Amino acid sequence: MAQIALVARGETTAFDAVFEQIGPSVFGVVKRVIRDPAQSEEVTQEVMLEVWRSASKFDAGRGSATAWVMTLAHRRAVDRVRSVQKEAERERRVATAEIPFDEVIEAVESSLERERVRRCLGSLTEVQRESVTLAYYRGYTYGQVASLLSVPTGTVKTRMRDALIRLRDCLGVAE
Amino acid sequence: MKLTKRSQLRDAHTLAGAYAMDAVSAPDRERFERHMIGCAECAREVASLREATAMLGTAAAEPVPAGLKERIMAAAAVTRQQPPAAETEPVVLARGTWTRAGGWFRSLAWPGRLALATAGTAAAAVIAVAVVFGIANSSMQQQIDRAQASSQQIAVVLTAQDARMATGTVVGGGTATIVMSHSRHALVFTAQGLHALPASRGYELWLIGPAGARPVAMLPAGSHGMTGPVIASGVRPGDHLALTAEPADGSAHPDTPMMIDMDL
Repeated sequence: MAQIALVARGETTAFDAVFEQIGPSVFGVVKRVIRDPAQSEEVTQEVMLEVWRSASKFDAGRGSATAWVMTLAHRRAVDRVRSVQKEAERERRVATAEIPFDEVIEAVESSLERERVRRCLGSLTEVQRESVTLAYYRGYTYGQVASLLSVPTGTVKTRMRDALIRLRDCLGVAE
Repeated sequence: MKLTKRSQLRDAHTLAGAYAMDAVSAPDRERFERHMIGCAECAREVASLREATAMLGTAAAEPVPAGLKERIMAAAAVTRQQPPAAETEPVVLARGTWTRAGGWFRSLAWPGRLALATAGTAAAAVIAVAVVFGIANSSMQQQIDRAQASSQQIAVVLTAQDARMATGTVVGGGTATIVMSHSRHALVFTAQGLHALPASRGYELWLIGPAGARPVAMLPAGSHGMTGPVIASGVRPGDHLALTAEPADGSAHPDTPMMIDMDL
């Protein structure tokens, strides 16, 4: 997304193009975490305005524009659900939640990129996949994932890191 | 239980995956971000893992609801953009209540924070003042230029171990923000939203101690509602900071009511 540099100069046509390209991903991931469509729209708007406001801070030397925007999006979504729900309530809900690890696979359609993600998720062990799915698509902390899966927190932390390293290498996005 | 340095390091390092997925509590997040400042390897790892999590995100893409794009474009049209970091070398944020700038700090992507958290220069510290005090517009460069002369002194105050920030309301409108360092006997003053005075009048800053009032400086004309930063040195124990409106070329003694009176 070379357009980010143009967005930083205030070019709205570039911002339009960036939105066309990444808006659906932002909305998709935000809605995954938040669930509520109206709130997801709100957070998507916040994220995209943050991209507009701080485009000048983006440094291509430190990662891709996609990763920058998606990181903003995911963090905002997670912060939103965590601020809305009291921790205690959330812990309770975690304890009764169903494990959603098939969810990603179902939702993934047949574009090449998605196919690649699907294949790479499939290359993880089941426990790795569960940890990543609960954390990334549900917005749970590693502590919550640990209690949900009844494994020690240290194990979950390690799994998450191992899983992402494996995903990264499988996806070929390593720098 | 006290962990050894090595096990703390290892522990922090394993958090990279959870951190890259935002699967950390707020205290863990802060702990890991502090760790990353000194761990370039961790920062690189998080960056590379985020390329992977971004793919997980794009795999969840779905059509955007009708009208959302239009609302976003309309909002962007009336939203001011942040200026680039210009030629800045990395900036040091001063200690003390500067940490209250955390909201702003946290809103940066982490590489920006890393850059900001390492070493610094005087000019960059002035920019830090500008950013922290909320100047985010095209007048920033002028402000910085104007402040360049005193930037060295300002940087010394901002980076002092004991730097503390305080704000006060100005009678007649506006907010003053000061950063005080007792060890440096100096403070940095800025104000926002001061009421505009007629050309024949100006705001004068004073230090008032047991022996009377000492003039500090006439405040420069505000730009976009922002005045300063102005340095006040030679602060003595027991001094107050005061602001009055005086004739434009200044007075030797405050002749008008105090518009602010702050304990230092």
